[in-house]
Amino acid sequence: MSDRRLRQVAIVLALIGLGVAAYLTYVHYEGIESVCGLGGDCEKVQTSEWSDLAGVPVALLGLIGYAAILATLFVEREEALIAGALIALVGFGFSAYLTYRELFSIDAICPWCVASAVIMTLLAIVMTARLLRAPTGDRGVVPYVG
Amino acid sequence: MSTEPKPTKQERRDAARAARLEAERAEAGAALRRRRLRTLLAVLGAAAVLVVVAIVVSGGNSDKAKSRPGAAQKATGAIPGQKESAAMLAGVPQSDIYLGNPAAPVRVVEFADLQCPFCREYTLQVLPRLVQDYVRSGKVRMEFRSLSFLGDDSVTAARAAAAAAQQDKLWNFVDVFYYNQGEENSGYVTPAFLDRIERAAGVDPVKAKAFAASEASKKPLTAANALADQLRVESTPTILVGKRGGALTPVQADPTDVGAYKAAIDGALGQA
Repeated sequence: MSDRRLRQVAIVLALIGLGVAAYLTYVHYEGIESVCGLGGDCEKVQTSEWSDLAGVPVALLGLIGYAAILATLFVEREEALIAGALIALVGFGFSAYLTYRELFSIDAICPWCVASAVIMTLLAIVMTARLLRAPTGDRGVVPYVG
Repeated sequence: MSTEPKPTKQERRDAARAARLEAERAEAGAALRRRRLRTLLAVLGAAAVLVVVAIVVSGGNSDKAKSRPGAAQKATGAIPGQKESAAMLAGVPQSDIYLGNPAAPVRVVEFADLQCPFCREYTLQVLPRLVQDYVRSGKVRMEFRSLSFLGDDSVTAARAAAAAAQQDKLWNFVDVFYYNQGEENSGYVTPAFLDRIERAAGVDPVKAKAFAASEASKKPLTAANALADQLRVESTPTILVGKRGGALTPVQADPTDVGAYKAAIDGALGQA
Protein backbone atom coordinates (compact mmCIF):
# COMPACT_ATOMS: atom_id res chain seq x y z
CA MET A 1 0.00 0.00 0.00
CA SER A 2 1.41 3.39 -0.92
CA ASP A 3 2.11 5.99 1.73
CA ARG A 4 -0.60 8.15 0.25
CA ARG A 5 -3.13 5.38 0.75
CA LEU A 6 -1.86 4.64 4.29
CA ARG A 7 -2.28 8.31 5.14
CA GLN A 8 -5.84 8.32 3.80
CA VAL A 9 -6.67 5.21 5.85
CA ALA A 10 -5.15 6.83 8.94
CA ILE A 11 -7.20 10.00 8.44
CA VAL A 12 -10.41 7.99 8.20
CA LEU A 13 -9.54 5.93 11.29
CA ALA A 14 -8.56 9.02 13.29
CA LEU A 15 -11.82 10.73 12.35
CA ILE A 16 -13.89 7.73 13.44
CA GLY A 17 -11.86 7.50 16.66
CA LEU A 18 -12.38 11.20 17.23
CA GLY A 19 -16.13 10.73 16.91
CA VAL A 20 -16.22 7.81 19.36
CA ALA A 21 -14.02 9.61 21.89
CA ALA A 22 -16.02 12.82 21.53
CA TYR A 23 -19.22 10.91 22.27
CA LEU A 24 -17.69 9.20 25.32
CA THR A 25 -16.33 12.51 26.59
CA TYR A 26 -19.74 14.12 26.15
CA VAL A 27 -21.40 11.26 28.03
CA HIS A 28 -18.84 11.56 30.80
CA TYR A 29 -19.29 15.27 31.36
CA GLU A 30 -23.06 15.27 30.94
CA GLY A 31 -23.34 12.41 33.41
CA ILE A 32 -25.79 10.64 31.12
CA GLU A 33 -25.86 7.01 30.12
CA SER A 34 -24.45 6.16 26.74
CA VAL A 35 -26.36 4.19 24.15
CA CYS A 36 -24.93 0.83 25.06
CA GLY A 37 -25.87 -2.03 22.76
CA LEU A 38 -24.61 -5.58 22.43
CA GLY A 39 -25.32 -6.45 26.05
CA GLY A 40 -22.59 -4.14 27.33
CA ASP A 41 -22.62 -2.20 30.55
CA CYS A 42 -21.16 1.16 29.58
CA GLU A 43 -22.06 2.91 32.76
CA LYS A 44 -20.27 0.38 34.93
CA VAL A 45 -17.16 0.82 32.80
CA GLN A 46 -17.40 4.58 32.49
CA THR A 47 -17.90 5.13 36.17
CA SER A 48 -15.24 2.64 37.23
CA GLU A 49 -12.03 3.76 38.88
CA TRP A 50 -10.21 3.22 35.59
CA SER A 51 -12.37 5.76 33.80
CA ASP A 52 -9.90 8.51 34.49
CA LEU A 53 -6.18 8.98 34.66
CA ALA A 54 -5.02 11.31 37.41
CA GLY A 55 -8.38 13.03 37.31
CA VAL A 56 -8.54 13.34 33.53
CA PRO A 57 -11.28 11.17 31.98
CA VAL A 58 -9.75 8.56 29.67
CA ALA A 59 -12.40 9.49 27.11
CA LEU A 60 -10.94 13.00 26.99
CA LEU A 61 -7.42 11.59 26.73
CA GLY A 62 -8.61 9.52 23.77
CA LEU A 63 -10.17 12.59 22.18
CA ILE A 64 -6.91 14.52 22.53
CA GLY A 65 -4.95 11.52 21.22
CA TYR A 66 -7.07 11.13 18.08
CA ALA A 67 -6.96 14.88 17.43
CA ALA A 68 -3.18 14.89 17.80
CA ILE A 69 -2.79 11.90 15.45
CA LEU A 70 -5.03 13.63 12.95
CA ALA A 71 -2.95 16.80 13.20
CA THR A 72 0.30 14.90 12.54
CA LEU A 73 -1.22 13.51 9.35
CA PHE A 74 -1.34 17.00 7.90
CA VAL A 75 2.28 17.85 8.62
CA GLU A 76 4.81 16.60 6.08
CA ARG A 77 7.77 16.21 8.36
CA GLU A 78 9.66 13.28 9.75
CA GLU A 79 8.92 14.53 13.29
CA ALA A 80 5.20 14.36 12.56
CA LEU A 81 5.55 10.73 11.44
CA ILE A 82 7.40 9.91 14.64
CA ALA A 83 4.95 11.81 16.87
CA GLY A 84 1.95 10.22 15.15
CA ALA A 85 3.33 6.71 15.57
CA LEU A 86 4.28 7.40 19.19
CA ILE A 87 0.82 8.66 20.11
CA ALA A 88 -0.87 5.76 18.32
CA LEU A 89 1.38 3.19 20.01
CA VAL A 90 0.84 4.72 23.46
CA GLY A 91 -2.89 4.79 22.71
CA PHE A 92 -2.77 1.16 21.65
CA GLY A 93 -0.89 0.09 24.79
CA PHE A 94 -3.18 1.96 27.16
CA SER A 95 -6.32 0.79 25.31
CA ALA A 96 -5.09 -2.78 25.63
CA TYR A 97 -4.64 -2.27 29.36
CA LEU A 98 -8.12 -0.74 29.73
CA THR A 99 -9.69 -3.58 27.75
CA TYR A 100 -7.93 -6.02 30.06
CA ARG A 101 -9.43 -4.14 33.05
CA GLU A 102 -12.89 -4.26 31.46
CA LEU A 103 -12.66 -8.01 31.01
CA PHE A 104 -10.96 -9.05 34.21
CA SER A 105 -11.54 -6.33 36.81
CA ILE A 106 -14.74 -4.49 36.00
CA ASP A 107 -16.43 -7.58 34.52
CA ALA A 108 -18.27 -5.42 32.03
CA ILE A 109 -17.72 -4.41 28.45
CA CYS A 110 -18.42 -1.04 26.96
CA PRO A 111 -18.79 -1.47 23.18
CA TRP A 112 -17.77 2.14 22.55
CA CYS A 113 -14.55 1.62 24.46
CA VAL A 114 -13.83 -1.60 22.59
CA ALA A 115 -14.51 0.20 19.30
CA SER A 116 -12.01 2.86 20.28
CA ALA A 117 -9.46 0.19 21.25
CA VAL A 118 -9.85 -1.50 17.86
CA ILE A 119 -9.50 1.82 15.99
CA MET A 120 -6.42 2.72 18.03
CA THR A 121 -4.90 -0.72 17.27
CA LEU A 122 -5.45 -0.22 13.53
CA LEU A 123 -4.01 3.29 13.78
CA ALA A 124 -0.93 1.98 15.58
CA ILE A 125 -0.37 -0.49 12.71
CA VAL A 126 -0.91 2.10 9.99
CA MET A 127 1.17 4.79 11.69
CA THR A 128 4.02 2.35 12.31
CA ALA A 129 3.92 1.24 8.67
CA ARG A 130 4.10 4.88 7.61
CA LEU A 131 7.03 5.53 9.89
CA LEU A 132 8.92 2.67 8.25
CA ARG A 133 7.90 3.30 4.68
CA ALA A 134 6.95 6.90 4.09
CA PRO A 135 9.17 9.10 1.95
CA THR A 136 11.02 11.59 4.09
CA GLY A 137 9.92 15.15 4.44
CA ASP A 138 13.21 16.32 2.93
CA ARG A 139 11.94 15.67 -0.55
CA GLY A 140 14.62 15.00 -3.16
CA VAL A 141 17.54 14.58 -0.79
CA VAL A 142 16.89 10.97 0.10
CA PRO A 143 15.26 8.70 -2.45
CA TYR A 144 11.89 7.09 -1.89
CA VAL A 145 12.08 3.76 -0.12
CA GLY A 146 8.98 1.86 -0.96
CA MET B 1 31.95 -15.23 -31.81
CA SER B 2 30.14 -12.17 -30.61
CA THR B 3 28.66 -9.86 -33.10
CA GLU B 4 27.97 -7.16 -30.50
CA PRO B 5 29.90 -3.99 -31.12
CA LYS B 6 32.42 -3.15 -28.45
CA PRO B 7 31.12 -0.36 -26.17
CA THR B 8 32.77 2.93 -26.75
CA LYS B 9 34.74 4.64 -24.04
CA GLN B 10 31.85 7.06 -23.49
CA GLU B 11 29.36 4.24 -23.10
CA ARG B 12 31.59 2.45 -20.58
CA ARG B 13 31.91 5.65 -18.60
CA ASP B 14 28.14 6.17 -18.61
CA ALA B 15 27.52 2.59 -17.49
CA ALA B 16 30.00 2.92 -14.65
CA ARG B 17 28.39 6.18 -13.61
CA ALA B 18 24.93 4.62 -13.67
CA ALA B 19 26.16 1.69 -11.59
CA ARG B 20 27.77 4.06 -9.10
CA LEU B 21 24.61 6.12 -8.82
CA GLU B 22 22.55 2.97 -8.39
CA ALA B 23 24.88 1.75 -5.64
CA GLU B 24 24.70 5.15 -3.95
CA ARG B 25 20.94 5.10 -4.17
CA ALA B 26 20.78 1.58 -2.73
CA GLU B 27 23.17 2.56 0.06
CA ALA B 28 21.14 5.68 0.85
CA GLY B 29 17.96 3.60 0.86
CA ALA B 30 19.50 1.04 3.19
CA ALA B 31 20.77 3.81 5.45
CA LEU B 32 17.29 5.33 5.56
CA ARG B 33 15.76 1.96 6.38
CA ARG B 34 18.28 1.47 9.17
CA ARG B 35 17.55 4.96 10.49
CA ARG B 36 13.81 4.34 10.33
CA LEU B 37 14.19 1.07 12.20
CA ARG B 38 16.25 2.77 14.88
CA THR B 39 13.58 5.48 15.11
CA LEU B 40 10.87 2.84 15.37
CA LEU B 41 12.71 1.06 18.18
CA ALA B 42 13.11 4.37 20.00
CA VAL B 43 9.41 5.17 19.48
CA LEU B 44 8.39 1.70 20.70
CA GLY B 45 10.60 2.13 23.76
CA ALA B 46 9.18 5.58 24.52
CA ALA B 47 5.63 4.31 23.98
CA ALA B 48 6.23 1.38 26.34
CA VAL B 49 7.58 3.72 29.02
CA LEU B 50 4.61 6.10 28.64
CA VAL B 51 2.10 3.23 28.79
CA VAL B 52 3.74 1.83 31.93
CA VAL B 53 3.63 5.28 33.55
CA ALA B 54 -0.04 5.64 32.59
CA ILE B 55 -0.85 2.20 34.02
CA VAL B 56 0.99 2.95 37.25
CA VAL B 57 -0.85 6.27 37.63
CA SER B 58 -4.17 4.61 36.80
CA GLY B 59 -3.55 1.64 39.10
CA GLY B 60 -2.58 4.00 41.91
CA ASN B 61 -6.27 4.55 42.64
CA SER B 62 -6.98 0.88 43.11
CA ASP B 63 -4.08 0.46 45.48
CA LYS B 64 -5.42 3.28 47.60
CA ALA B 65 -8.88 1.72 47.56
CA LYS B 66 -7.50 -1.63 48.60
CA SER B 67 -5.49 -0.23 51.46
CA ARG B 68 -8.48 1.59 52.93
CA PRO B 69 -9.42 -0.13 56.16
CA GLY B 70 -12.18 -2.62 55.66
CA ALA B 71 -12.41 -2.18 51.93
CA ALA B 72 -13.31 -5.75 51.22
CA GLN B 73 -13.97 -5.35 47.52
CA LYS B 74 -11.99 -7.45 45.14
CA ALA B 75 -9.78 -5.89 42.55
CA THR B 76 -12.78 -4.17 41.03
CA GLY B 77 -11.76 -1.35 43.36
CA ALA B 78 -14.19 1.49 43.71
CA ILE B 79 -17.90 0.86 43.56
CA PRO B 80 -19.64 2.48 40.58
CA GLY B 81 -20.70 5.99 41.50
CA GLN B 82 -18.48 6.22 44.55
CA LYS B 83 -16.31 8.98 43.15
CA GLU B 84 -19.19 10.82 41.50
CA SER B 85 -21.28 10.83 44.68
CA ALA B 86 -18.39 11.97 46.80
CA ALA B 87 -17.60 14.75 44.33
CA MET B 88 -21.23 15.86 44.02
CA LEU B 89 -21.74 16.06 47.79
CA ALA B 90 -18.30 17.20 48.92
CA GLY B 91 -18.55 20.08 51.33
CA VAL B 92 -22.37 20.22 51.31
CA PRO B 93 -23.73 19.99 54.87
CA GLN B 94 -25.86 16.94 55.68
CA SER B 95 -27.94 16.25 58.72
CA ASP B 96 -30.32 13.31 59.10
CA ILE B 97 -32.48 13.31 55.95
CA TYR B 98 -31.52 16.86 54.95
CA LEU B 99 -28.97 18.20 52.52
CA GLY B 100 -27.82 21.79 52.41
CA ASN B 101 -28.19 25.04 54.28
CA PRO B 102 -30.86 24.79 57.05
CA ALA B 103 -31.70 28.47 56.48
CA ALA B 104 -32.19 28.07 52.71
CA PRO B 105 -35.23 30.00 51.45
CA VAL B 106 -36.55 27.07 49.41
CA ARG B 107 -36.96 23.42 50.21
CA VAL B 108 -37.17 20.47 47.87
CA VAL B 109 -38.73 17.30 49.23
CA GLU B 110 -38.14 14.04 47.41
CA PHE B 111 -40.23 10.94 47.88
CA ALA B 112 -38.49 7.96 46.37
CA ASP B 113 -38.16 4.22 46.56
CA LEU B 114 -34.59 2.99 46.31
CA GLN B 115 -35.77 0.26 43.96
CA CYS B 116 -37.60 2.58 41.60
CA PRO B 117 -35.82 2.99 38.25
CA PHE B 118 -37.25 6.47 37.55
CA CYS B 119 -35.99 7.64 40.93
CA ARG B 120 -32.60 6.44 39.80
CA GLU B 121 -32.90 8.46 36.60
CA TYR B 122 -33.82 11.57 38.56
CA THR B 123 -30.98 11.08 41.03
CA LEU B 124 -28.29 10.44 38.44
CA GLN B 125 -29.37 12.97 35.86
CA VAL B 126 -31.15 15.83 37.60
CA LEU B 127 -29.96 15.88 41.19
CA PRO B 128 -26.28 16.71 40.48
CA ARG B 129 -27.34 19.85 38.58
CA LEU B 130 -29.69 20.95 41.33
CA VAL B 131 -27.06 20.38 44.00
CA GLN B 132 -24.53 22.31 41.98
CA ASP B 133 -26.80 25.22 41.09
CA TYR B 134 -28.96 25.60 44.18
CA VAL B 135 -27.85 23.56 47.17
CA ARG B 136 -24.19 24.56 47.07
CA SER B 137 -25.11 28.21 46.97
CA GLY B 138 -27.36 27.80 50.01
CA LYS B 139 -30.58 28.60 48.17
CA VAL B 140 -32.18 25.18 48.55
CA ARG B 141 -32.36 22.60 51.27
CA MET B 142 -33.26 19.09 50.19
CA GLU B 143 -35.06 16.40 52.09
CA PHE B 144 -35.16 12.71 51.18
CA ARG B 145 -38.12 10.60 52.22
CA SER B 146 -37.77 6.86 51.69
CA LEU B 147 -40.88 5.12 50.53
CA SER B 148 -40.81 1.36 50.42
CA PHE B 149 -43.82 0.10 48.56
CA LEU B 150 -42.17 -1.90 45.79
CA GLY B 151 -41.35 -4.98 47.84
CA ASP B 152 -39.11 -6.54 50.45
CA ASP B 153 -35.94 -5.23 48.91
CA SER B 154 -37.37 -1.71 49.19
CA VAL B 155 -37.99 -2.13 52.91
CA THR B 156 -34.51 -3.52 53.53
CA ALA B 157 -33.00 -0.70 51.49
CA ALA B 158 -35.09 1.99 53.22
CA ARG B 159 -34.07 0.76 56.66
CA ALA B 160 -30.42 0.83 55.60
CA ALA B 161 -31.02 4.35 54.30
CA ALA B 162 -32.41 5.30 57.72
CA ALA B 163 -29.18 3.99 59.24
CA ALA B 164 -27.15 6.10 56.80
CA ALA B 165 -29.25 9.15 57.75
CA GLN B 166 -28.44 8.50 61.39
CA GLN B 167 -24.78 8.90 60.40
CA ASP B 168 -25.56 12.01 58.30
CA LYS B 169 -24.56 10.15 55.15
CA LEU B 170 -28.00 9.49 53.69
CA TRP B 171 -27.40 11.41 50.45
CA ASN B 172 -24.16 9.60 49.74
CA PHE B 173 -25.82 6.27 50.46
CA VAL B 174 -28.82 6.99 48.25
CA ASP B 175 -26.67 8.20 45.37
CA VAL B 176 -24.29 5.23 45.44
CA PHE B 177 -27.27 2.90 45.85
CA TYR B 178 -28.90 4.24 42.69
CA TYR B 179 -25.67 3.84 40.76
CA ASN B 180 -25.74 0.16 41.73
CA GLN B 181 -29.48 -0.43 41.63
CA GLY B 182 -30.36 -4.00 40.67
CA GLU B 183 -33.39 -5.67 39.16
CA GLU B 184 -36.54 -4.92 41.12
CA ASN B 185 -37.28 -7.45 43.87
CA SER B 186 -34.65 -9.87 42.66
CA GLY B 187 -33.41 -10.12 46.23
CA TYR B 188 -30.27 -8.18 45.39
CA VAL B 189 -30.42 -6.01 48.51
CA THR B 190 -28.36 -8.49 50.52
CA PRO B 191 -26.21 -7.68 53.57
CA ALA B 192 -23.12 -7.98 51.34
CA PHE B 193 -24.61 -5.56 48.78
CA LEU B 194 -25.49 -3.05 51.50
CA ASP B 195 -22.06 -3.44 53.00
CA ARG B 196 -20.46 -2.47 49.70
CA ILE B 197 -22.75 0.51 49.22
CA GLU B 198 -22.24 1.69 52.79
CA ARG B 199 -18.47 1.53 52.55
CA ALA B 200 -18.53 3.39 49.25
CA ALA B 201 -20.82 6.02 50.76
CA GLY B 202 -18.63 6.54 53.81
CA VAL B 203 -21.16 4.94 56.16
CA ASP B 204 -19.92 2.81 59.06
CA PRO B 205 -21.37 -0.57 58.03
CA VAL B 206 -21.22 -2.15 61.49
CA LYS B 207 -23.18 0.65 63.17
CA ALA B 208 -25.52 0.85 60.17
CA LYS B 209 -26.30 -2.85 60.32
CA ALA B 210 -27.10 -2.66 64.02
CA PHE B 211 -29.37 0.36 63.54
CA ALA B 212 -31.12 -1.08 60.49
CA ALA B 213 -31.96 -4.21 62.49
CA SER B 214 -33.47 -2.16 65.32
CA GLU B 215 -37.07 -0.99 65.60
CA ALA B 216 -35.82 2.60 65.42
CA SER B 217 -35.04 2.19 61.73
CA LYS B 218 -38.73 1.66 60.97
CA LYS B 219 -39.75 5.05 62.30
CA PRO B 220 -38.53 7.17 59.36
CA LEU B 221 -40.40 4.79 57.02
CA THR B 222 -43.62 5.24 58.91
CA ALA B 223 -43.11 8.99 59.04
CA ALA B 224 -42.43 9.12 55.29
CA ASN B 225 -45.56 7.09 54.54
CA ALA B 226 -47.66 9.38 56.70
CA LEU B 227 -46.26 12.49 55.06
CA ALA B 228 -46.77 10.96 51.61
CA ASP B 229 -50.43 10.33 52.46
CA GLN B 230 -50.83 13.85 53.76
CA LEU B 231 -49.26 15.35 50.63
CA ARG B 232 -51.11 12.90 48.35
CA VAL B 233 -47.93 11.47 46.93
CA GLU B 234 -48.96 8.61 44.71
CA SER B 235 -45.89 7.73 42.70
CA THR B 236 -42.14 7.88 42.87
CA PRO B 237 -40.19 9.91 42.39
CA THR B 238 -42.34 12.78 43.56
CA ILE B 239 -40.45 16.00 44.00
CA LEU B 240 -42.15 18.85 45.80
CA VAL B 241 -40.88 22.38 45.91
CA GLY B 242 -41.87 25.23 48.18
CA LYS B 243 -40.75 28.17 50.23
CA ARG B 244 -39.37 27.40 53.66
CA GLY B 245 -42.35 27.10 55.98
CA GLY B 246 -44.75 27.40 53.04
CA ALA B 247 -46.85 24.96 51.03
CA LEU B 248 -45.23 22.37 48.82
CA THR B 249 -46.13 21.92 45.18
CA PRO B 250 -45.27 18.75 43.25
CA VAL B 251 -43.20 19.21 40.09
CA GLN B 252 -45.06 17.59 37.22
CA ALA B 253 -42.22 16.56 34.99
CA ASP B 254 -40.32 13.74 33.44
CA PRO B 255 -37.73 12.57 36.00
CA THR B 256 -34.90 13.54 33.65
CA ASP B 257 -36.20 17.00 32.74
CA VAL B 258 -33.68 19.20 34.52
CA GLY B 259 -35.25 22.36 33.11
CA ALA B 260 -38.63 21.68 34.68
CA TYR B 261 -37.15 21.19 38.14
CA LYS B 262 -35.01 24.27 37.80
CA ALA B 263 -38.01 26.29 36.69
CA ALA B 264 -39.99 25.11 39.72
CA ILE B 265 -37.16 26.04 42.07
CA ASP B 266 -36.63 29.39 40.37
CA GLY B 267 -40.33 30.05 40.74
CA ALA B 268 -40.20 29.32 44.47
CA LEU B 269 -37.05 31.44 44.85
CA GLY B 270 -38.87 34.29 43.13
CA GLN B 271 -41.59 34.18 45.80
CA ALA B 272 -39.19 33.63 48.69
